[in-house]
Amino acid sequence: MVQEIIAFVILAVAVGFLIKKYFFKKKKTDKSCGTDDCGCH
Amino acid sequence: MINQNINVALIGNPNVGKTSVFNQLTGLNQQVGNYPGITVEKKIGFCKLPNNVKANILDLPGTYSLNASSIDENVVIELLLNKNDKLYPDVALVVTDVENLKRNLLLFTQIKDLEIPTILVINMADRMEHKGISLDIPYLEEHLKTKIALVSSRKGFGIDALKKLIVTYKTISSEPCLNASVIDPDYFDSLRKAFPGQLLYKLWLVITQDVNFLNLERKEIHSSFTKSHSDLKRLQQKETIKRYQFINDTLKVGLKVDATVAKDFRSKLDRVLTHKVWGYVIFFAILFIIFQSIFEWSKIPMDFIDSSFASLSSWANENLPSGVLTNLISQGIIPGIGGILIFIPQIAFLFLFISILEESGYMSRVVFLMDKIMRKFGLSGKSVVPLISGTACAIPAIMATRNIENWKERLITILVTPFTTCSARLPVYAIIIALVIPDQYVLGIFNLQGLTLMLLYLLGFGMAIFSAYVLNKVMKIKGKTFFVVEMPNYKLPMFKNVAINVVEKTKAFVFGAGKIILAISIILWFLASYGPGKNFKNADQIIQSKAENKALPALELENKIASYKLENSYIGIMGKAIEPAISPLGYDWKIGIAIISSFAAREVFVGTLATIYSVGGTDNEDTIKNKMAAEINPETGNKIFNFASGVSLLLFYAFALQCASTLAITKKETNSWKWPVGQLIFMSGFAYLLALLAYQILK
Repeated sequence: MVQEIIAFVILAVAVGFLIKKYFFKKKKTDKSCGTDDCGCH
Repeated sequence: MINQNINVALIGNPNVGKTSVFNQLTGLNQQVGNYPGITVEKKIGFCKLPNNVKANILDLPGTYSLNASSIDENVVIELLLNKNDKLYPDVALVVTDVENLKRNLLLFTQIKDLEIPTILVINMADRMEHKGISLDIPYLEEHLKTKIALVSSRKGFGIDALKKLIVTYKTISSEPCLNASVIDPDYFDSLRKAFPGQLLYKLWLVITQDVNFLNLERKEIHSSFTKSHSDLKRLQQKETIKRYQFINDTLKVGLKVDATVAKDFRSKLDRVLTHKVWGYVIFFAILFIIFQSIFEWSKIPMDFIDSSFASLSSWANENLPSGVLTNLISQGIIPGIGGILIFIPQIAFLFLFISILEESGYMSRVVFLMDKIMRKFGLSGKSVVPLISGTACAIPAIMATRNIENWKERLITILVTPFTTCSARLPVYAIIIALVIPDQYVLGIFNLQGLTLMLLYLLGFGMAIFSAYVLNKVMKIKGKTFFVVEMPNYKLPMFKNVAINVVEKTKAFVFGAGKIILAISIILWFLASYGPGKNFKNADQIIQSKAENKALPALELENKIASYKLENSYIGIMGKAIEPAISPLGYDWKIGIAIISSFAAREVFVGTLATIYSVGGTDNEDTIKNKMAAEINPETGNKIFNFASGVSLLLFYAFALQCASTLAITKKETNSWKWPVGQLIFMSGFAYLLALLAYQILK
């Protein structure tokens, strides 16, 4: 049971990460440094 | 950023070794990002100076002058004119090349006239003796009203002296080199009267440059002091002439070149490397060596990573308490991470070679060499830079087209750049080539796998050129352009610069693509481990009842159940739905899923298959490569990854636009969905047709 809960939490994090990455691109409002990722990954 | 740190801006023409000076000052204390709203790279490093002074070192994009003609150059001007910017420099370091001092000093005089404390950094000083150059430093310091640091960023000398000089920036004169009034006394007098509190040269830049100024009333200046475009151009030319007169007068005394000492090695080498026959022969020989080496040298570390993750996966499966989480770890997470890390050696070697070519000065010769070909296909010489940088990633490559002035040439370059083989294709090529191309030598020295990889790179480049030719004929947009390229001196690549570039690019792959591959691996594990309906739930009973009359060994029965479950899982149902469209290409539903998921990022292809095969696999095979090699088509009994399907897949990935981000950036750069949608339909349609033809002919 505990294993299932942890596994599904990890799954939810993975789904959330991809949704955030592709549908909610963060807008930069200040001049702080970002990453050097070209965004294609 | 800490407030008490001083801001130091590194400014200079391209190819003066600015980034090498930056690396020497900051080491690995660097952050790389983009300027807000645009995609010009922003590099900030941190440096400890004498007297416990700390500095933020900002490596600004290379610029020839403050008369901006590209977005890169706008960045420099906007920063230098905006005192409210938190990165506004306390001191500017103008980096110059001792062999091109005259041209480099134009930018220096312009920055000096903004009354920013400016240090003149004369780089590549180690070459002075060899080139017969001598400098009268006290004279130059007096006439240029600055402090001079003689450095060699390659050999590391002069850097400590430069650090000491930076600390004393408050003592450096901020007196301008050129009185702006000499450009047009009447005009500038009226400007001075209208804006008494403002710096005259700054006002002049506001009038002439198309950049954003935050603290000046641009409209007000323009309404009162507008001039025709040709008048402004004439005044800008006058300004440049005045500056060069000043520079010539200064260097007449301050710089001596003994021509009898100078050795003309550079021009001899240039004649060979840009020769109309030998230039191309050498270029292709270098490419050939690179791709051979990528395959040969990567073999051992890749096999090591692959087998290590396979062992880790089976260890986790055997030693962790059985359950869903253990399955996720052993079948989803570990194969997912393995699918990322396995490609580090090849990516590192690719960027090692690219960095060496750039650092040595050879890349500029390639640009010059290829310009002659580019013109025939409707591209600019400047298109070579995006096409070459497209071997890393199409996104920055498409952004790099911004310095192509002619819209038609720029648009064509944007549309064809995704054909060049980006690093994301490398993992797919690497695994498929290893599976279907024999590891043999042709004529005893040419590795067949390396040759295939090189052929794929040339195919991508050739297709880009061919498409450009067609687009040039089809598009009815006219315009003229010209081509200027900087030919830096040849130099031995600096290990530090090459190493930093390789580490940065590899990190970008692991932490950029890696996160997505891992997330997709986890989701795929779920989709492959769960399914709707009775078939999935009752897989054990269904298979056992089918096998009742046959005395199957336990392992085979287990494999049949796993395979049946996979087919009836969520991913199996999705894959089966698209199978009719892809089976003529020689792919099964599992490859179909990998193709769909790799639309997010091409590298996901291998990770996806690794996860699918781990969940539904036999466990007889351990590594990703072995698992793929062992896959059998249940209908034909043939291997899934055979020569025909392998070539079909290679061609599909060579031409298909399997990258969501490329579509997004094309939309952004062309400001229309028309071009990216056309690009997607053409590239993917062409890829499908070619893959279909290849499979049907070769099967």
